[in-house]
Amino acid sequence: MKHLIYLLAFFSLNLVAQSKYITKTGVVNFEASVASFEEVKAMNQSVTAIIETKSGAFAALVLVKGFRFKNALMEEHFNENYAESDQFPKATFKGNLEDFSIDKLSATSIFKMNGSLTFHGKTKKLESIPLKLSREGDFINVSGSFLLNTSDFDIKIPKVVKDKVSETVEVSLNFKLKKT
Amino acid sequence: MRKWLILVILLLAGFAGYNYIYQSHRDIHEEQAAYTLSAQALSTAFLKTPSESELKYLNKTIEISGNITEINKKDLTLNESVFCQFSNLITLPSKKGTNIKIKGRVIGYDDLLEQVKVDQCFIVD
Repeated sequence: MKHLIYLLAFFSLNLVAQSKYITKTGVVNFEASVASFEEVKAMNQSVTAIIETKSGAFAALVLVKGFRFKNALMEEHFNENYAESDQFPKATFKGNLEDFSIDKLSATSIFKMNGSLTFHGKTKKLESIPLKLSREGDFINVSGSFLLNTSDFDIKIPKVVKDKVSETVEVSLNFKLKKT
Repeated sequence: MRKWLILVILLLAGFAGYNYIYQSHRDIHEEQAAYTLSAQALSTAFLKTPSESELKYLNKTIEISGNITEINKKDLTLNESVFCQFSNLITLPSKKGTNIKIKGRVIGYDDLLEQVKVDQCFIVD
């Protein structure tokens, strides 16, 4: 009898087991450039992201120190004065993809992303951000972009550089998640 | 004579200013490692004392030794706990199961996968 219960428990566990898609090398870019001034742009190629196909849960973790700028001094200022990455080393997103189903994933489909983004110690709700998803064998590709305001994350741009750094920041992402 | 002096000073100041604004990036390859330790020791440190370890290791150049548990074109994982990302393709014929020593810069701890992330890596030994 006991064995039977274990057996049943084992099978039911298997039934709810989630299949996950993961990347450790996702790309997130942001740009806060102002036309005709030096570009304020950085790329992070070390983003971890996970999609649970059954629930559509979507999580991402960005290590702020991993943002690389073309200009080394700009990178230093970003880490020290704006993102304060010693104090806030992580940016995280937790949310879901609306009505996600792996079977609906044809060549290219658009899904809406909802959730909360935490950066610089502040959290902002993101709603209905359209993301492009496609399936390629054991991989799911995710891409998209959205706008954020520096004020949402309590990041102040000093007066001296106000006309060189935009307060509206374009964030784009590009993940290739592998089935595990 | 004074005019020349002012001109030279201005030129020097301009040169210094330019060098400051367009200074070059850190060269992890050339830097002396601040810490040398094993992959297990590093990940245990982050797991047990996350905030102290962040203060200690974040943005530091370190040398880590461990066993390759996963390898791709531009990244490899040591002891399933330290994820090392390379700027260039991994050239040495290293494969799963070999012991290796790597130098790189710690960018932080990934709580989703419970791995320490290191970028700008290259193989030391």
